Amino acid sequence: MLELVHVTKSFESPVDSGSVSVLKDITLKVEKGKSLVIVGPSGSGKSTLLNIIGALDRPTDGKVILDDKNLADLDDNKLAEIRNRDIGFVFQLHHLLPQCTVLENVLIPSLADKKMFSKEETQKRAKELLERVGLKDFLQYRPGELSGGQRQRIAVARALINKPKLLLADEPTGSLDKDSSQNVADMLVELNRNEQVALIVVTHSLELAQRIGHVMELNDGVLTDRK
Amino acid sequence: MSLLKHAKQSLLFYWRTNLGVLLCVIVSTSVLTGALIIGDSVRYTLRKFTDYRLGSTKLALVPQGRFFSTTLSDNLAKELDTNAAPVLQLRGMVANGSGDIRVNSVQVLGVDESFYNFAQGRTPFDKDSVDTIALNKPLAQRLNANIGDDIVLRIEKPSLMPRDVPLTPVSDLAIAFRLKVISIAGEDDFGRFSLQSNQVASLNAFVPLEWLQKQIDRIGQANIILVSDNANNSVTIEDANSAIKNSWQLADAELELRKYEQKNIYEIRSKRVFIDDILSEAAQSANDNSIGILTYFVNEIRRGDRFTPYSMVTAIESNDIVPNGMQDNEIVINQWLADDIGAKVGDTIELKYFVQAPMRKLEEKSSNFKIKAILPMEGAAIDSSLMPDFPGLADAENCRDWEPGIDIDLDKIRDKDEKYWDDYKGTPKAFITLSAGQKIWSNRYGNLTAIRYPIGGDSESDIAQKILGNVTPSSVGLFFMPVRELGSKAGGGTTDFGQLFLGLSMFLIFAALILTGLVFVFGVESRSEQVGVLMAVGLPAKLVKRLLLIEGLILALLGAVIGTFTAIIYTKTVIYAISTIWQSIVSGSEILFHTQLSTLIMGALFAIIFSLIAVWITLRRSLKRPARELLAGALRWQYFKAKKISKGRIALLITVLSAIGAVLIAVLMGSGDSKEVSGAFFGAGSLLLISGLSLSYALLKIIAGRWNRAVSSLAGLGLRNSTRRSGRSLAVIGLLACGIFLVIAVGANKQSASNAHNRASGTGGFALYGESTIGILHDLNSESGRKEMRLDSSDIDSAEFVQLRVHDGDDASCLNLNRAQMPRLLGVQPQQLQKRGAFSFKEIAENADKDNAWMLLNQNISSDIVPAIGDYGTVFWGLGKSVGDELDYVDEKGNSFRLRIVGILTSSMVQGSLIISEDEFVKRFPSDEGYRMLFIDAPQEDADKVSKYLTSRLPQYGVEIMLAATKLEQFMAVENTYLSIFMLLGGLGMILGSIGLGLVVLRNVLERRGELAMLQAVGYNKATLKKLIFHEHGGLMLYGLLCGIIAALVAVGPVLRTTRAHVPYLMIVAIGFSAVLWIWIAAAVALKGSLMDALRNE
Repeated sequence: MLELVHVTKSFESPVDSGSVSVLKDITLKVEKGKSLVIVGPSGSGKSTLLNIIGALDRPTDGKVILDDKNLADLDDNKLAEIRNRDIGFVFQLHHLLPQCTVLENVLIPSLADKKMFSKEETQKRAKELLERVGLKDFLQYRPGELSGGQRQRIAVARALINKPKLLLADEPTGSLDKDSSQNVADMLVELNRNEQVALIVVTHSLELAQRIGHVMELNDGVLTDRK
Repeated sequence: MSLLKHAKQSLLFYWRTNLGVLLCVIVSTSVLTGALIIGDSVRYTLRKFTDYRLGSTKLALVPQGRFFSTTLSDNLAKELDTNAAPVLQLRGMVANGSGDIRVNSVQVLGVDESFYNFAQGRTPFDKDSVDTIALNKPLAQRLNANIGDDIVLRIEKPSLMPRDVPLTPVSDLAIAFRLKVISIAGEDDFGRFSLQSNQVASLNAFVPLEWLQKQIDRIGQANIILVSDNANNSVTIEDANSAIKNSWQLADAELELRKYEQKNIYEIRSKRVFIDDILSEAAQSANDNSIGILTYFVNEIRRGDRFTPYSMVTAIESNDIVPNGMQDNEIVINQWLADDIGAKVGDTIELKYFVQAPMRKLEEKSSNFKIKAILPMEGAAIDSSLMPDFPGLADAENCRDWEPGIDIDLDKIRDKDEKYWDDYKGTPKAFITLSAGQKIWSNRYGNLTAIRYPIGGDSESDIAQKILGNVTPSSVGLFFMPVRELGSKAGGGTTDFGQLFLGLSMFLIFAALILTGLVFVFGVESRSEQVGVLMAVGLPAKLVKRLLLIEGLILALLGAVIGTFTAIIYTKTVIYAISTIWQSIVSGSEILFHTQLSTLIMGALFAIIFSLIAVWITLRRSLKRPARELLAGALRWQYFKAKKISKGRIALLITVLSAIGAVLIAVLMGSGDSKEVSGAFFGAGSLLLISGLSLSYALLKIIAGRWNRAVSSLAGLGLRNSTRRSGRSLAVIGLLACGIFLVIAVGANKQSASNAHNRASGTGGFALYGESTIGILHDLNSESGRKEMRLDSSDIDSAEFVQLRVHDGDDASCLNLNRAQMPRLLGVQPQQLQKRGAFSFKEIAENADKDNAWMLLNQNISSDIVPAIGDYGTVFWGLGKSVGDELDYVDEKGNSFRLRIVGILTSSMVQGSLIISEDEFVKRFPSDEGYRMLFIDAPQEDADKVSKYLTSRLPQYGVEIMLAATKLEQFMAVENTYLSIFMLLGGLGMILGSIGLGLVVLRNVLERRGELAMLQAVGYNKATLKKLIFHEHGGLMLYGLLCGIIAALVAVGPVLRTTRAHVPYLMIVAIGFSAVLWIWIAAAVALKGSLMDALRNE
């Protein structure tokens, strides 16, 4: 379903006219319903890799193929459409809209492409997702009225609202306490299994990595299987 | 590290934001200080113009329709030990050489060298100057005349006897001359000379005094004396008036003392024919044996079917002719008359004579007398000197040469009458008692034509001294006016242009200050984490606030200093606009730039204080948050909770109540165009504005509270987003709504004279308005009057005239920047306006009959109070008075009286003057001849024809006719220009407001870049994000504009129903466009670059 072929990413060097390679010749395949954890030290390029996989950024070289489509060939609008339909994102900082209710926050992605599902269908699904993440009693709450773990669960529900094929999570437990972290991790594993959504998680947390399964390590831009 | 050093470093580091704050302070300082400098400039200009107008004149003896000897001026100069100058001032008209340009209402001034001692310039005339004239610049410009050009000067020729007396001939009303322009008089050459406190230069033509005296047969006479202060600055008005008393002569009172050796008598007579009552009394009491004489021209003396035409009859106190004990119904006739009509003692004869009615109308009356005696044609009975010097009669060789100023039938004059004239001239043919004569022939100019004394005892000079000692000079119009003091008062008491422009600029200043606060606080908010750190490391909030305030203070100081310089540029630009596109507010007068250091300091200080207040208010709010929230930076929004909606409910209640109030007012007041209805609708509109703003507050609070319905569209999401910063959102809505409300409400009130045909309008329903330089003496509505004026065409058959007398004074209209001290007075027969229901009253005296408001002018309040009516602009703005207030005035005899305002008209074409009844007018100003203002009724389609005809037929009167609507629009132009300035400055304020909107958008978007990045991550493309931003802010903009527009349209509803309404659509569109533009710019700037950085940074 997802395939990275010789992906490299370089940035202009802030100190000289040369460039700095963040990702070096990364080749990767993730099948439908599978999960993958990428670990690595700070600055190793984990988030950059996740952004490239999630069509938020483009590789300097190589191909990112999602469902047989090379993302490098698509314009920004098409990429936005793919992000909206096929990919779900969970960030370390949940980026919920504080002025919106919990339910509305989950519905936000559905507003970008209203043709995908009907209004009723989307709302029903949002409620179901919130029920599944244990927040069915908090639909009308504002994010500011909930705990950090609860907010991250809203972010997960939001990521799943458009039934994506691929769920990307960037340090999903990075800003949570231990209990909340475990809670969110369990939820991600469960969703991966039940929704048959491919899951890629970037984290520092080995504990989280072990709970999810296949772990790869990114070091100096090179992705290898962790032993 | 000191606070100051920290502030300095922060200012430099965050220079972009601080530059924004600096610009805003510069704008507010420029506009605020600029307004104050405009005030300085106008005050300076008026002071300067008073100097130009008066030179070193301190006091002036002003013309009251009287002439005096120029030696009085010399005597006064000696007596007061100062400069004095005689001036002969007349009204006139000037045309250029080809006659295609004609200028009316010109001040023709006969001057000599002494006049120029009052100014810096020198006389342009020398002994070799023949038939030359100097024009002041405005007159030369109007005539397009240069030095060396020929012009035609036409001047009014003052009559010996007031021309309102029908016996005065009107054939020599004006005389014309072709003269060469030898000089164009500028300010230093006294070109602006005028005794009236108007900032607009008079149209002056200067000619040599002696030449002018000669042309009008007033050798050695003048009608103005200018007096400067002496070396000790000690000349007072009391001194000057005493000096007149000490040095005046009989000639200065227009009296003449003749000696008839043969008759052994002295005789006092007046050049004005009728001797003023006050002088008569003085002259009679000068000698115990004085005899009063009143000789009158009668049309016929009849006995049965025999009559003698056109004769003099003398009423005289008992003497050789009229014996003691003669009754008032008895008459003594001479033998010639007795023979002519076959009369004998005991017969009754009838005298037919004209008495004076207004407008030179004559009413023939008759009285019967019984013949007491018949005098032989000898001795006292053949005294031709008893006939006064009636103009047109006294110097006639033959009866057929008579030009008495009344219609006489020369065919009635027989040969024997000619023979009588040859033999006896104007010797009276009959004599009656003085009391009988005064009963039938008295008039407002006097009751005697001569006073006689027997020679013996008092010398001529004794008599003269006794007469002059018995009367005060002011009672015959010889009194000084403190023109310098009045000029200073007029310039000082004027509308404060500084305050006016401050008012007009208020919205712009307010918008700049809001923007100052907004930009500053945005800067502070972008550093909230830094502020949080400062607080977290133990700096008290007060200290942090002080630190930021120091930054604000430095910016305010710097902005104020730069703003003071830009204020000067701004003021010069405004003054340039006043002299070009806005010149109607100063009637085309020039404004001289001037400012004082204190003004600049004051403006800068105000700007600093206001800027600091704006910074402090906004800072106070943003530093209220605890350190942990500030530290969270962009994530402080995680503390955002659902709002309590109780405030929203209260706001909703206010919304409903205000809306109900507005509807109730609109329904109850119904339709109409009265001031009350307009006021009520303005109230309803204001309530609607409050309602709309409360609704927006309520909606923001309720949506931010427990609004459970999930958003299902981008617009819905935009609405939700706008509740996040409800304060900012409300500020945007409020600024736009209030701004557009003001712009429309003010703009719609621009006036035009489109309903001018309406009697209640400012034209009084008259089609035409006219002014003449020389008074029209006849009734233009009567056939005889038109005949006298040679208006014989059918072109004016459809016209009807209301004629008004004019006593010149200060222009109290909005065209005069000075505060009028002695406004122009108009005399009218109130019933003429009452019967037409002309004009509408804004206010009248308490308990007065509304339906007969004009008749209030006939109210008899007391002998020294005269009821007066003026329009709102004149009374309220020009004079600073209201109904019931009084204004001191001086009549032509120097008697003080008070004008009591009994009614105020709504805006009208009589702005600038006060109207009193004609009866009061002629009582106070008998020397103001004729009617110089005309209100003309004519069918709309004939107006042009009537106007052209009158202008072409009456050039000798200097008649200028215009559409009444045009006259009204000239006054409206002033108000409309003020409204334009307000709208322009308000519009600029709105544009600043829309920049503020842009800043709000920018700030809102920048602080939510993380969220926007998330939205992009979940599939929103940039176009959708832009749309979202537009939905959010465009919605606020649209709501604000609609709220303001709807409320404003209701507020000006009554005006909109009239055709004069003017909705500034262009301005509304410009404001809307500016707002959209700024939202777009802000959105584009904020979304520029990769939003993903916002995610990555975290």
